[in-house]
Amino acid sequence: MFATKRLSKMQEHVPPGIAIVKCDNLEEWQMDIKILDQNPLYLDQTYRLKFTFSNKYPIEPPEVQFIQCPDSTGTPRTIPMHPHIYSNGIICLDLLGSAGWSPVQTVESVCMSLQSMLTANNRNERPPGDQEFIATNRRRIRDINFVYEDDNV
Amino acid sequence: MKVTIKEWNAVATWHWDIPEDEVCGICRVQFDGTCPTCKFPGDDCALVQGRCNHAFHMHCLMTWIDLETSKGLCPMCRQKFEWKDKE
Repeated sequence: MFATKRLSKMQEHVPPGIAIVKCDNLEEWQMDIKILDQNPLYLDQTYRLKFTFSNKYPIEPPEVQFIQCPDSTGTPRTIPMHPHIYSNGIICLDLLGSAGWSPVQTVESVCMSLQSMLTANNRNERPPGDQEFIATNRRRIRDINFVYEDDNV
Repeated sequence: MKVTIKEWNAVATWHWDIPEDEVCGICRVQFDGTCPTCKFPGDDCALVQGRCNHAFHMHCLMTWIDLETSKGLCPMCRQKFEWKDKE
């Protein structure tokens, strides 16, 4: 119910390094983000994010994850390396969980938080237990209770 | 000259005592408009302002505050949301 006006406002102005890829319905959007500084881990790369909105958005957080696109799409996208991003694209970020979410967050603000999360990172690694997590996790993203193992990243 | 007024129509406009172009942070609709569930702006879709001075459509804020995970915090500043008494 909230989503219509809110999501359509996004299209009026998009912050730097962020582009709307797909927004033709109010259930799923795709966004491309780039990192604007010279961090060598992400230099010249573009990453694809998928937002899934429930009908309670923005009271409830959207589900947000990175997705891969094969070369054949013409816009190849990989999952960025980061100690809080699993290799299946699932992101461990407090503001995306029910405990850290606030309904004044927007698609723009989430994209900007992810840009800054990447910008600030200098570790070329996946979270601990990455392979096991992606092999066994069947839960929906918002139901995962991440343990925030390291608040310094 | 004497003028006799036979009829007059009073017209008034109103807006909330809040900058006109500001929007509710939850639904992103202007305060002078309604929350997404209401049709008529005004007393039926009132605003609420916290002690932290952040304002929202009351219906929008209540949807949030009713949620256990909100912990009763202001969506903007994450301080405890307490109703500001009218001054």
